This record gives sequence, C-alpha cells and structure tokens, in this order.
Amino acid sequence: MGRLLRILLNSSGLFTFAGLQLLCLYLIVNHNDTQRQIWVETKSVYGSTLSEFISDKLAFLDVARENEILRRENAALLARIPGSGYNTAVDTIPVQDSAFQQRFTYLASRVINKSPYGPYNTLVIDRGANLGVERGQGVVSDGGLLGIISEVTPRHARVISILHLDTRISAGLDNSAFGTLKWNGRDPRRVTITDMPDYVPIAPNDTIYTTGYSNVFPSGLPIGTVESSEPLPGTGSQDLTVVLLNDPLLAGNGYIVRDLFKEELDQLNRVR
Amino acid sequence: MTTGMLINNVLRFVLLLVAQVFVFNQIAWGWSGKDFLFVFVYPLFVALLPLRTPRPLVILLGFLLGLGVDFFSETLGLHAGALTFTAYCRPLILRLVRPRDGYNIKANPTTEDLGSGWMFRYLSLVLLAHLLAFFLLQTFSVLFLTDIIVKTLLSLPASLLVLGALILIFNPRA
Repeated sequence: MGRLLRILLNSSGLFTFAGLQLLCLYLIVNHNDTQRQIWVETKSVYGSTLSEFISDKLAFLDVARENEILRRENAALLARIPGSGYNTAVDTIPVQDSAFQQRFTYLASRVINKSPYGPYNTLVIDRGANLGVERGQGVVSDGGLLGIISEVTPRHARVISILHLDTRISAGLDNSAFGTLKWNGRDPRRVTITDMPDYVPIAPNDTIYTTGYSNVFPSGLPIGTVESSEPLPGTGSQDLTVVLLNDPLLAGNGYIVRDLFKEELDQLNRVR
Repeated sequence: MTTGMLINNVLRFVLLLVAQVFVFNQIAWGWSGKDFLFVFVYPLFVALLPLRTPRPLVILLGFLLGLGVDFFSETLGLHAGALTFTAYCRPLILRLVRPRDGYNIKANPTTEDLGSGWMFRYLSLVLLAHLLAFFLLQTFSVLFLTDIIVKTLLSLPASLLVLGALILIFNPRA
C-alpha cells in the first residue's frame, strides 16, 4: 500500500496533467465550433468501427439466442420457398376442333416423391382428385411412359411406375401386332414385351408404340425400340427386349392422360 | 519561497495575462484568409516559476493562466490545454538544458543565475512545446500537420523575440 501511495505521489504531476488536459479537451470540444465539428466527425468515423469491433468480440455472448432466432427465421423462410408450396396452376389445354373431337386431355404434374429404386417402383405426383385425376389413368413423361395412377387423394396421386413388376401395358408395333409390356425387375432401361405372336417379323430398332387398347394411354405413343427378340418354343409367341426411350427413374414431370370416353368404353366392356 | 517571489509571480501572472489578452492577441499575421503568425507571452509565467515549485502546482497554475487567457479570447480550453501541456513538459525541458554541473539549489530560472544562452535555449524549448500543443489543439487534427508546422515556425521566432525584449526590459530577478 505504501509503495502504491509513493508511486501515486511520485507521478502526481502526470495525474494532474492528465486530469486537467482531459478537462481542457472537454472544454474545447464543448465551446469551440470547429473543434466540435471535427470531434463529431471523428467520432462518427472511428466510433462505428470501434463499436463494430467490440460487438464482434462480444458476439458469442448471445449466440444461443441468436441461433434460436435464426432457426425460427429459417423455418419461416423454408415454408416460403417454391418447393414447399402446392402449385395450384392447372396446365391442361383442351383443343376445340370440329373434325376431331377431343378424346385425351393431358394434365401437367410434377413428381414430388419417388420410392427408392427396387422391383416395385412408385412415385407421387402433385395432382389429385380435385382436378379429376382417377385411378387407372396413365401418366406419360417427356418422350415416354411413366406409369399408371393407383391411388388418388384430393391433391396428390400415387403412380405405379412402368418399372414395377405388376405393370401391364398393351404395346405393339406400327403394323398392329401387339403384346403386353412388363418389367422383369432387373434393368431400369429395358422392358420386355410378352405374348407377341412369333410369326410377326421383328427387326432390331423397330419402334414400339402404345396401342390404345387398354384405354389408359392414347394410341401411337412411342415407348422404345426393339433390342432383340426371342421366340418361346411351344407357345407361338416371342419375347421382345425393348430399350426405353425415356428414363422413368429420372422423370421430374408427368402428364396425366385423361380419357374423356372412358365411361362409354367401360360400358361396352361390361356387356358380355 | 520568499514573499517577494510570491508577489513577483502573482504580478507576473496578472500582467502577462493582461498583456497577452489586450496587446499580443491583437497581433496575428497570415495570408489567404488564415493567420499563421501569433505572439505568445504568457508561457513566460510557467517558465519563470521557481525551480523547486511542486510539479502539480506548476501544472495547476499553467491551467489557470491558460483558462484566464481563454476567457478573454473566446477559445475556452485551447490556451489552457496548451499551457497545461507546457507546464507538464517543464521538468523534461529543464533536464534537457541542464547545465554541466546541475542546478544550484538556490537557482532561479533567470538570466542572472543561469546565463542568457541557457535562457535562450530554455525559452525556445518551452515555446516550441507550447506552440506545437496549441496549434495541434487549434486545428484539432494531425491532418493539418503542414499548417501546424508552418504556424509554429512563424510564431516561434516572433514570440521568442518579444520574450527576449521583455526579459531585457524587466530583467526579472526571481
């Protein structure tokens, strides 16, 4: 304590000087216009930098609260990005033509969910019963088939992909020979057509079309090209291996095919 | 400290204040709208205080005299700040210009005791410290360094000349 007092006494000149000088600076800043302006300017230039530095160094103090605020904000923002909204725009354009009555209309939809790749692939699209989607309607995608609607909710629908072991679609050549399209569960780029009569001449790279006989897809939609044919002895039929035009696993859009004559055709089928 | 010294210092305080305020504050010379040459006589009070005056007292007296000048010059704090700084620097300056055999214990900072050459060097350094401090406080920014230096270089010889004349005329003994 004594030493401290001695130090204070020894530097009493310094303390007197510092105190009085601070008082002078205070008087200068408060009673002289030029100096006050310079002081205010200096304070505004360096003061913000200083306070920024200080708040930077002390930012960790309320990081938990900040984090909570940011998480809430993130949640609010995530709810607003386009992917989390349900697109209510309806993209279907019926064509008015006096010579051709409209039979099929297409409803654009987006694939919003896909099952992991396996033998039974399904997907979910963002169109449902509210827009007239029904069980059994076909879904085509850019340049090929995607699948068939199996379940419908008011806003969504589940699609059985053509890469599903239970899928059966009528497919044929442009010379009216037709068979049943299946998937054997092995190669997502290749499907098989069974029950094709073995007398029908098949050449590799022949194009396979939908036939329209199942009232699911319109006729004449290209599906794929023949890679090879294999006659099955004793059955009178042959199996065709078909390379798909599109890749259903990668499809992001689907067009739901709606058959306006479906009820009428169903009535015919009911009469035996 | 004798009574005579006390009276001398009090008189010097008042007279230098009056002289600075009413005579030498009127002297200012410069060009293009700015004044560069000033004459300061009141630092002489701090310079002539007895050598053994306690340091805080020197600083306090410097502050008071500066404040007095400020009151009449409408520059509150400027002269006071500069003279406080000068008073603080006085011991350092005294050490700088110390004679080879140190200060006599009874010596006063006068021409008689320490010689006119010593007085000249001493006053030059006191004025230099005071002028630099004053002009720094006046411009209030190191950005005007050129102004500060020009003002100091012009005011230093002028003030020194006046102080020399005052000392020659009054020849203070204590």
